[in-house]
Parts: sequence; structure tokens; C-alpha cells
Amino acid sequence: MNLQKVWITLLGLLVAVNLQAHVGSPGVVFEGKAGPYSLLVSVNPPEVIPGTAQVQIIVENGGIDHIWVKPIYWYAGDEGSPSPDEALPSEENPNQYEGLIWLMSSGTASLEITVEGSLGKGVALVPVMAASTAQKDMEPQLGWILAGLGIFLVVLMVTIIGASVSDGTLDPNQEFTRRYRRKRWVGAGISAFVLGLILYEGNEWWQSWADDYQRYMYKPYQATSTILEDEGGRVLNFAIDTTYLSYRGRSSRTSYLIPDHGKLMHMFLIREGSLDAFAHLHPQRVDTITYQVKLPPLPEGKYFVYADIVRWNGFAETIADTVEIPAEELPTRLASVGKNSLYEDPDDTYIISNPVGSQQAQLAGNNIVICGKPGTETPLPDGSTAIWEHQSSEPLVAGKLYPMTFAIQDPEGNPAELEPYMGMMGHMVVFKNDGSVYVHLHPVGNYSMASQSVLESRIKEDQTLPTLPEPLQFADSIDQLIASIQSLEEQEREEFLMEGMVHEVEDETGEHAGHSTVMFPYVFPEPGDYRIWIQMKRNGQVLNSAFDVKVEL
Amino acid sequence: METTLASKTLVSPVQKAKSTSLLLKIPVFIYATVFASLCIVVGVVWDISWHMSIGRDGLFSAPHLAMYLGAVIAGTFSGYQVLQITFAGSTEQKKQSVRFWGIFYSSLGALFCIWGAFAMLTSAPFDDWWHNTYGLDVTILSPPHTVLALGMMTIQFGAIISVLALQNRQDAVDLPAELKERRQRRLQLFYVIAAGFFLTMLFVITSEYQSRHDMHRTSFYIIGGGLYTFLLSAIARSSQLRWAATTTTAVYMLILMLLGWILPLFPAEPKLGPILNHVEHFQAFEFPLLLIFPALTIDWVLHRFDQKNDWMKALLIAPLFIIVFLAVQWPFGDFLMTPYARNWVFGTETWYFGNNPDWEYRYAYAPWMVATGWNLVTGLLIAVGVSILTTRLGLYWGRWMQKVRR
Repeated sequence: MNLQKVWITLLGLLVAVNLQAHVGSPGVVFEGKAGPYSLLVSVNPPEVIPGTAQVQIIVENGGIDHIWVKPIYWYAGDEGSPSPDEALPSEENPNQYEGLIWLMSSGTASLEITVEGSLGKGVALVPVMAASTAQKDMEPQLGWILAGLGIFLVVLMVTIIGASVSDGTLDPNQEFTRRYRRKRWVGAGISAFVLGLILYEGNEWWQSWADDYQRYMYKPYQATSTILEDEGGRVLNFAIDTTYLSYRGRSSRTSYLIPDHGKLMHMFLIREGSLDAFAHLHPQRVDTITYQVKLPPLPEGKYFVYADIVRWNGFAETIADTVEIPAEELPTRLASVGKNSLYEDPDDTYIISNPVGSQQAQLAGNNIVICGKPGTETPLPDGSTAIWEHQSSEPLVAGKLYPMTFAIQDPEGNPAELEPYMGMMGHMVVFKNDGSVYVHLHPVGNYSMASQSVLESRIKEDQTLPTLPEPLQFADSIDQLIASIQSLEEQEREEFLMEGMVHEVEDETGEHAGHSTVMFPYVFPEPGDYRIWIQMKRNGQVLNSAFDVKVEL
Repeated sequence: METTLASKTLVSPVQKAKSTSLLLKIPVFIYATVFASLCIVVGVVWDISWHMSIGRDGLFSAPHLAMYLGAVIAGTFSGYQVLQITFAGSTEQKKQSVRFWGIFYSSLGALFCIWGAFAMLTSAPFDDWWHNTYGLDVTILSPPHTVLALGMMTIQFGAIISVLALQNRQDAVDLPAELKERRQRRLQLFYVIAAGFFLTMLFVITSEYQSRHDMHRTSFYIIGGGLYTFLLSAIARSSQLRWAATTTTAVYMLILMLLGWILPLFPAEPKLGPILNHVEHFQAFEFPLLLIFPALTIDWVLHRFDQKNDWMKALLIAPLFIIVFLAVQWPFGDFLMTPYARNWVFGTETWYFGNNPDWEYRYAYAPWMVATGWNLVTGLLIAVGVSILTTRLGLYWGRWMQKVRR
């Protein structure tokens, strides 16, 4: 069966391409309400579609009778989903419920979680992007077992065919003469040759399946980032490579992007190596494949670029690239007269902090953020302080769900009054120092809010299958929407973006309580050194902070 | 005490006679392998129906158990036969067997069954790895499924060869003349039944090219003509029945019709999403091809032109087979698209739960599904050409099958 050869070939093909709305952090975490119940959900989607997603659910209040989970695809809607499966209490931790959910097709999916218990019934929807992201190799042990069985089968079949053409045709009392012996050897020889050919063809066929799988495996968009200098300042030009159309099809056109938190694209720049410069920008669409944004005064160097986007069907993904930012030319910067049509986005921010491995900032500038650690009070540039509420003596471990809670105090030491920033109480970026993990998350989890709202509207519809809209018309209407959001006053804009979002923090009287703490639920996918940037808003100013943490196995 | 003894001596010969008349001195191994073949074919069709209707299954789903039962019966009986003859067999039994690897004795049929059982065993971890690597496939012909299908078909072929050796050998059995004749008739019948099960399996694994929507394509006639003429010519030549090819196809049609009528009686609900077609009962597998009509041509030519050489027979059978196959199946394909076929008899309402039930070509041939003009003519000529070769090959193979004795 030549399994070893195939195994070796497959080993060569093994590429862990794992880019969606994250890099290297495929798990989905959800923190929110299912009716009267508060849920913390962690979903580990399959690497191969069709496959099973592992779901863990913690209900923080009420007595639980049943928890049901069912997959709902955007394409087929609620009517196209199977009957739910029951999540059952974990043997180790009875408060945690677990389930295995089949995801049969690639595309935008969600898990509908229904909780039944003492407080009645509640439903929550967790978006999950279903995509084949990895091709696995064969474990050597299995390879040898299969190869052994294959050899046995070949030898036995050669024996059978040899016997079939010789003594198998003899009457019981007929003598097994030399002629028949020769026939047996000839039969065995020919069958061995034919079997060899069949196995060779079988191997080719297997390879063609592997190639097909590769072809249809999820492949992220590619883009090229360049820095343009003009009199208006430095501009980052982000051009999406159109060759994606050849392997992803027309429904993947970038004309079909929709805004998330009011922006078509959330771009993060992280200075490679030292990680001491970070920017959260919102490039503007120049045409359907070109995005541009004015660069803040970031220090020169090579940067990781991550651009988070969401398509009309709610599929959220990340486009990754790198860019070399040259040293700023002072005279150009001083001229600073807007020559291009890009507007200043008040939500664009950047942070200069100390490099990893040192508490001393090496870059010049105001408002330098010194990274904090879990459990210690960390001063912020505006005089307030942040504390990551986690015992510094207790190590963080990979694969465990943490409600990462940050309490903010104003310069006077009182609980700070935080304001929404792009519709959320906080934005967090988790980045592994070697660049293998990047994820952008919010207090509700690390799924895209836009995906969730697309899925929620789809679920309200019947099963009529969606058809592709006209791309340019679609893009135009989205551009108009973005322009209208952008033209709103800050207060109105935040109110617009907050619409439809669940207000998690209410006091006992049901009144909206002030926010001085923010919680981000997250599961670190692997051990290592991480840097975490958190952005909140206080007194109309974006409040940036950063933390370094070591995650253990 | 006397009474007990008397009753014992009285009952025993009767029971013995009953069992003799029941089994007709045909080894239990033969009944077991033919039954195993039936289990396999029922299991496979049931499993396809399961995947079209429910989708999710486990290692021990009911159709899987039916298939395993076939493998276990065939493997155990064959393995036992090899060990029994090798280590405790009489000289007569050894003379009726082939010797291999220096020490072992076995019938050819048992060897095929053992090979099939091991191939099925091999396919299990292979298929599991395949699903984890490339995803759960919803296709019949993937490499691990092919290993499984080869295993199953080899077991079925083992059943055919087991019956065949006995039919051909005409052992001197200690039976009254009447029972001897019944025994021979039973073997002849078992042969075409086993061949019918094998044909059903062949249809199942090629069904992705032999479905209702393929009946107006030339590939349907090229693939079908090639495979069916090969198998049926071999069966017709090696069987001692006059209408062996026709009977084999009748067995095939009967088993598929029965499964198509029985399975939809049971409720089923899709357990995997997205569900585009909401089904409430098992979706039937395909209505069988009307192979009984073209098969008639094989039996007829083999008798009518008994004296002609095999090339002449192939030159006669192949065009006749394709003409009748086309004349029957093309209009039948049209019929299957009409509302008259959307009932329990023909079961064309059957539709995979993951497919859009409102597809415009659910009950129609799309332009790309219909061969016309010159393409149709050349395609059919290719079908005839391929069938001439496969018929000739089948006749050659049938000649070997006539010779199988052990």
C-alpha cells in the first residue's frame, strides 16, 4: 500500500495554516446572557470540516435542568439546523457542562445554547467560523500497522490467485503436477505485478484526494502593506491580493465586507521583536481591495500587521502581513496638511511601551506605558491605575478559561468611570511574543459582534437560501453606512454602536451601574510569553495599558 | 428408562434425516458465507440510506453491525475451516483444498473470505484516520471506503467461489437420487443468488455514475455496459442454470426493490446540519436498473450461438446488451423524473437531507446531463467497444470459474 511513502509525503504537506479572526488561537470564548442565565462558553472548533466542536459551558447563576446545543449555519438558517444535543455535566467539574457538536460544512456557523432551569429558559448564540485549517499527518504507529496489514493482504492475494489458477482447478484426486506448480508461480507473479500497479494507482488517487483537500482548505486573504509618504503624512497602503478569487470563489469578494464596531477594518500594528509599539487603526476603503490609513508617529522598524474583517455572511477573519516603517521625516510631518482624502479617525490610537524583557522604555515619547503583571498595580499614563485581578503567585496555564478581570482606579484612587470605546467597554489584543498567537477580543469574548448580529438576523428569516448580492452596489451601500456613522457626533456614534448590545452590568435595582472593571474571557492556546494590550476610555480619552504574562503548560 | 432409550433411538434418525434434507449435505460454511454476503449488501444499502437520512452514525450503528456480522461470519467460518482442515482434516478434505504457505489447507472460497475480512479490518483504522484528516466524507468512493468495498466484495466473491467449487465438483454424496438432484439445484440457485448479491454491491459502489440523473449520459452506458457484461457473461458461462444472467439480475433487482420499500417505512431524522431537506423517514437508495432485460441477451446469445467462438459471442452480446440497456434505461430515466415515479414503488422522492430540495433539476435532466448528437453516437460506440472487450474477458473468466474445484 506504500503507506510509508504517503505518510512521508503528507508530513511534508503539513502546514498549520490557522488564520481566521485570529492567528493561532482558534478557540471561541463567549461571555454573556442566555435569557436570565449568565454564561461563560468556550468552543474548540474542529481543525477539519466536517468534524466536531468541543463545547464547555459554565452557567454562573440559577439551577440547571438541561443545556441544549445545536449548530446553526448562516447558509441554511435556523430551520436548517438539526435537533439539539444535550450538554452534560463534566465528570471533573459538575458545574461545567460539555458537549460535542458536529460542524458539517465550512462557513459561518453558530452554536445556539439553550439553558433550561430554575429561572426558566434562555438562549445564547455563539458564532463559530467553520473551516478546515490543518492537514494532519499519520502517526508512525498507525502507519506501520496499516503497512503491515497491507503487506499481509498483498501476500495473501498473490497466494490466492496463484492457487486459483493451479491446484484450485484440480479435481480432488487429480495430481498436482509440475505443470500446475509452474502455473501457480506464473499466476502469483502476474498477480503481484498487477497488484503493484493497482497500489501505485491507489497511491496516486490518495495523493489527488490530499491535493484536493489542500485546494479547498481554508486559505486566508493575502495582502501587501506599503508606506506611502506625502505631504499629508505617512500613509499605510494595504492592498488585498485578488488571486484569492481563484481559490475562494466569488462569494469571497472583498466587496462584501461589512463593518464591525462601525469600522470596515480593524488593523493592529505591533513592532516586531521588542513589541514596544502598538497601534489600533481603522483603514478606510479606497476601492474594494485597497485600504489606507494615516499612520500615527510610530517609531521605525518592522511591524506585524493584522487586519480583522467580516464578510456579509458573518465570516470573520484576519489578514496577516508585515511592513517596514521607515524613520519619520520631520519636515514632512511638520507640514502635516491633509493632501489625501483620508480623514482623521478619532478612534485610531497607538501605544509606546517598554520592550519585552526590560522595564525601561527605550523609545522616546510622552505617555509611555510600562507593562504590568498579573496581580500588581500598574500606573497608567493619565495617572490612573489598572490592576489585573489575578493572584501573582498562581501561574496562568494554557487551555484553561480565565475571566481576565481588570479594575481601574482614577488618579485619586477611586473606581474609575469607564466609557464605551467603539461600542465596547474595552478592547484587548493578546499576542504571543514570537508572533504565533494574535487575537482581538472584547468583554463579550473573542467572536465578532458583526458575525453575531448577521447570524441573529439570519435566524429570524425562513430557510430560503441566500443569493449573492451585486458586489458594487453592496460595497456602495456599506460605504454610505460607514460615512453616516463617521459623521455622527461621538456620543451619538457610541450610542449607535451600543444598540442591541446586552448591558452586562446592572445593579440590584436594575439601574445601569458605573463601569470600573472590565472582564475579558480568554483561553490561552499554548504556553509561552505573551503581551496583552488593553484599550478603554475615560474622560473621552482612550486609556491604554499593557501587561506581560507567562503562560505555563 | 426403556422409554427414554426408545424415544432417543426413535427421534434421532428422524432429526438426522430432517437435518440432511434441510442442509442437503451442503456444508454449513456455504450457507454461512452466502448469508454473510447478504448481511453485507443489506448493511451497505442500509448504511447509505442512513447517511442520506440521519447523517450521524457511530462505530456500532445498526447498518455497520450488519456489515460486521457479514465479516465476522465469513471470517470466522473460513478461519475455522482452514484450521480444522489443516490440523484435524481428513485426507479427503485435504484433497478438496488448496495448500498454501507450506502447511495450511483451505478452500479457495474460504481464502477469499479471509482476505475480505482482513481488508475490512484494515479499512477501519484507515477510514478513522481519513475522517480525522480530511473530514467526514459523504462520498461512497474514497480510498478507505474502496478498501472496505474491496473487502466486502471479496467476501461476496468468496461466497460465489465456495458455491461454485461444490457445484462444479459434483462430490459423491450419500443421498437418495431425488435429494441429490435437489442438492444440485440448490447449489445452482445459491450460485446465482450469491452472484446477485455481488452484482448489487457492484452497482452500489458505482452508483455515483449509475443514478437516475446519469441515465442520459453516455458514461452511464460505458461504465454500466462494461461492468455488467463482464460479470454477467462470467456468471452465465459458469452457472449450470439456463437463464443465469437473467436470474442474477432478478436477484439484484429484488433485493434493491425490497430494501427500497422496507427502509422508508422506518422514521429517521437528520442529526447533522445544515439540513436543507427535512426528512421524516429513511430515504430509499436507488430504484434498481432494469438489468433483467439486457441480461436476457447474454443468456440468449450463449445458448443460441453455443458453437461460436468467444470473440463472436462477445461481438454479438455487447451491441445487443447496449441496445437493450439503452432502449430500456433511457426512457425509464425519463419516467423516473415524472410525478408517476414519486411513490413508494420507485421512491424517486428520496433526497439527501443536505441537498436543496428545490433544486431545479431534482426531477429533470440538466442540459449537461444529456448526451446528444455526435457525442451520443460516439459515446454509445465506445460503450459497445468497451463491452465487447469486457464480455470477452467475462467469458474467459467464466471459463476459469467453470474449472474451480476446490
